Amino acid sequence: MVATLQSVIRLANTRPDDPLAQELTFTATYRRLRDADPVERELSCLRVQFPAILQPITAGDLFAGRIRYPLVGFSPEPGGLGYYCSDSAIRAMLEPLSIPPARQDPVREMLDFWRTETTTYRTRAACPDWVNRVLPEDDWQAQSGMAFPVYRMGGTQLNYATLLRLGVPGLREEIQQRQAKAPALFRGMLGALDLLSGCCRHYAAQARTLADGCPDCVRAAELTAIASTLEPLSERAPATFREAIQLMWLYALLSGTWNYGRMDVYLGPFLARDLDSSALTEAEALGLIRSLWRLIRAYDNQYNNRVFIGGKGRPNEVAADRFARLAMKATLAERLTQPQLSLRFYRGQDPSLMQQALTLLGEGCTFPILYNDDVNIPAVAAAFNVTEAEATEYLPFGCGEHILNHRSVGTPSGVINLLTCLEVALHNGRDPVSGRQAGPATGELRKFEKFEQVWDAYRAQVERCVTALAVQEKVEYEVAGVTAPFLFLSMLYDDCLDRGRSIFAGGARYLGGTLEAYGNTNTADSLTAIDELVFRQKKLGLTELVAALDADFNGCESLRRQLLAAPKYGNDHPVADVMAQRVHEHVCRVTREQAANVGLDSYLIVIINNSANVILGKNTAASPDGRRATEAMANGNNPAPGLDRHGVTAFLNSLVKLDPNVHAGAVQNMKFSRSMFTVHREKAEALLATYFAQGGTQAMITVVSRDDLEAAMREPEKWGHLMVRVGGFSARFVELPRDVQLEVLQRTLYE
Amino acid sequence: MSEIGEPTGIVFDIQRAAFQDGPGIRTTVFLKGCPLRCAWCHNPESWRLEPQRVVAGDAEKVYGREMTLAEVMAEVRRDHNYYVASGGGVTISGGEPTVQIEFCRALLRAAKAEGIHTCLDTCGYGRTEVFLGLLPDVDLFLWDYKATGDELHCTLTGVPARGILRNLRALHRHGARILLRCPLVPGVNDMPEHFRAVGTLMRDLPGLQGIEFLPYHETGRGKYEPLGLAAPKLRSHPPGLAEKTAWREAAAAAGLSRASVL
Repeated sequence: MVATLQSVIRLANTRPDDPLAQELTFTATYRRLRDADPVERELSCLRVQFPAILQPITAGDLFAGRIRYPLVGFSPEPGGLGYYCSDSAIRAMLEPLSIPPARQDPVREMLDFWRTETTTYRTRAACPDWVNRVLPEDDWQAQSGMAFPVYRMGGTQLNYATLLRLGVPGLREEIQQRQAKAPALFRGMLGALDLLSGCCRHYAAQARTLADGCPDCVRAAELTAIASTLEPLSERAPATFREAIQLMWLYALLSGTWNYGRMDVYLGPFLARDLDSSALTEAEALGLIRSLWRLIRAYDNQYNNRVFIGGKGRPNEVAADRFARLAMKATLAERLTQPQLSLRFYRGQDPSLMQQALTLLGEGCTFPILYNDDVNIPAVAAAFNVTEAEATEYLPFGCGEHILNHRSVGTPSGVINLLTCLEVALHNGRDPVSGRQAGPATGELRKFEKFEQVWDAYRAQVERCVTALAVQEKVEYEVAGVTAPFLFLSMLYDDCLDRGRSIFAGGARYLGGTLEAYGNTNTADSLTAIDELVFRQKKLGLTELVAALDADFNGCESLRRQLLAAPKYGNDHPVADVMAQRVHEHVCRVTREQAANVGLDSYLIVIINNSANVILGKNTAASPDGRRATEAMANGNNPAPGLDRHGVTAFLNSLVKLDPNVHAGAVQNMKFSRSMFTVHREKAEALLATYFAQGGTQAMITVVSRDDLEAAMREPEKWGHLMVRVGGFSARFVELPRDVQLEVLQRTLYE
Repeated sequence: MSEIGEPTGIVFDIQRAAFQDGPGIRTTVFLKGCPLRCAWCHNPESWRLEPQRVVAGDAEKVYGREMTLAEVMAEVRRDHNYYVASGGGVTISGGEPTVQIEFCRALLRAAKAEGIHTCLDTCGYGRTEVFLGLLPDVDLFLWDYKATGDELHCTLTGVPARGILRNLRALHRHGARILLRCPLVPGVNDMPEHFRAVGTLMRDLPGLQGIEFLPYHETGRGKYEPLGLAAPKLRSHPPGLAEKTAWREAAAAAGLSRASVL
């Protein structure tokens, strides 16, 4: 997931009638308490924020809970990291004078104040100088560079099972029992629970008012039901499916988390009870889930909004399966890009869940995303160095980074572009795009006599970046930890209550980090081409090759053809795949080793994707795999688009060669024709079953025809329903930018 | 045969994850050389036995290369797990695979020895004893039935149907498992008497496993010119939905209710 993108999309002036009133009030509160206890400060700021930024119940909602983050505020991630201020958006409001001149001075003063006060600024300021030199730029989307920091506390998934079992009063009791351990922190938590109760009352009153004025008696009854669902939530634990969803959803919104854990585990028992007692029909239950899905969609964040169903370690599997089936039905009925419904499965699970999943995928839903527990649980145990019992609680968030459900944090706070690292190595430390000396001088080309020297130069560039990114990750946690207790996260994260510590200040059982690696495949293919053509076959000189790259292959077409004809990852080719393994294992190992150096419980590579392969590609020079400058890089662990030419089994065999035991998640996109899931359904099932049995970790499946994609590019107005996986997220094809559409089109379609 | 005695063959393609060349997920090995010259052929690079170097635009391409049995088997083996899961295996196709009979047999035997299911995709043209000799090594024959009547068959493929049918009956008598495959080319061989003849054949030979109709497509047209071949004179077109429906009806009328139109 990539915070910067969605922050810009989501942040909004929440009070059009009184622009920036929310932001100014928030700032005044923060300034008053700037040097106060961080718990008190956060609680006061939260009180300014909630319920003020909660949005009204909207037509069709069966639950209360919509939110828009203001331009200045507090959040772990959705608005920005910690105390955030969207300087550029506010300045844009000042320009056309949408703010009266008389009100501009306080606004400018507010911007001035936040310039050196945001948590992001403080993180940057707290990093050692050498780290800031290695990571000179923050804007990974616009700048060329090998590595970038990302500012956020992303990917937390809370203990909703505990929340729903205890309810607000029960949770209050748990906190009170431990109060002596950390009086200030726990007072803050109790205050946060009061705020949650207040938000329940706020929405309940709103629902009653709306119901009173509603001429449509069906809708009036729905609104009354919302109110009577909310009213008891501050007094007792939820007793019904409806109450459970409502409490979970409101808590999630207040907490600023946007991945929702194992929903079938915590909602399944409520659903089963209501269905069995006839308190709810299946159609009604489906309607409730569909409404939740729409609210999740409205919390627009295409990179997150994960909901998990299925898998090992579910205490009441029968009830959970009942929820899982309805959840898939809801996804099929709504056909939304979110939530990102994900199915964990294992040998021995009720096979009807997988059958239903394949039917959804065949319908072009792109969901559920499939996760193979039989491979992932041991892999997570190895990578995170925890027991398999604990690894059973692995949960991918966002674009596919794993954490341990409500006990580990692994915010992805860094980006590394491996292909730029290679290009910098081929220019003796100079970035060919920016022209700057971006890394150490790792050797002149003419002195490279064997492939291993090229490898060592590449390796040195990567390792320097990873070392700096690990420190930056640790500093980001430290700054977050002293800045705020993140009360709503801490209350539902192991082992904050028992330790009397907040989540980022020693409370979370495991504090880990993840580093997003991009360009892995192009880097491996580039190194293969160099090894094969320059050093083994001696068909090319390295200097000649790099000159062709600098010319973006202009006038070097036959050289480019040779590069393209070199072995490529994704074809089950021993040479190309061994290089892919080498690149993979190197960056994963080096990253993993940093955890001990910087004092994190884990620090692991993730090979996920959003559209960063396209965006980063724009600032990446031509590469020795034959890719031209500015073209997209391969997606996730996938082969370069269109270069997997030996059929889907060869493609899948290549995928499973990359060791899953050394990282925190990798995504595999697959694009199949519709006939594959209709005419050849049994073969498709056997294909996926074999891939998973051979060690496949997960699959994100798009079912589509090439004709459809091309038609959608010609006549977008007719193809609004066409869904594709872009990488870490699903999108409506017609809403993607053209370059991303082309990249999706270029990916091999297996039929 | 290479000098050290290991069988070698001229292979012009190996396609993994083939979904339409027999049951399950398969690897199809395409052997060069074909005695027929079908008017609709989409693999004209398979006609001649020896490798062919062609130039298309500024790119050069070689059709066919000599491969040892071990090399081919190494490729075939890679998808073994997929065969097991899907009931798939290896399909030897062409060209006409029996043109390279020694290599073809060696490949089939090697696959069988490793427990891999074997299909032979054949036009059925050749000496009967050659086909009977392959019987123990072929789990399923994919047997072409291209046109009804010797004269039309001759016009369209260059050889009469007679010998092909004799071979088919002989194999059937000896208990071979056979799937009939009929290419359908609109306006060329899709006349009612053809469907009726296929229906009669299916009743005559109750041991046949089934029948698949393969609609004509034009993906091979671009291969002719670079090979120095005249463009095919065939006047036809890929079938539309209406034609496919008509075929299904004609097939049903001929008593072929279980036929599939791929």
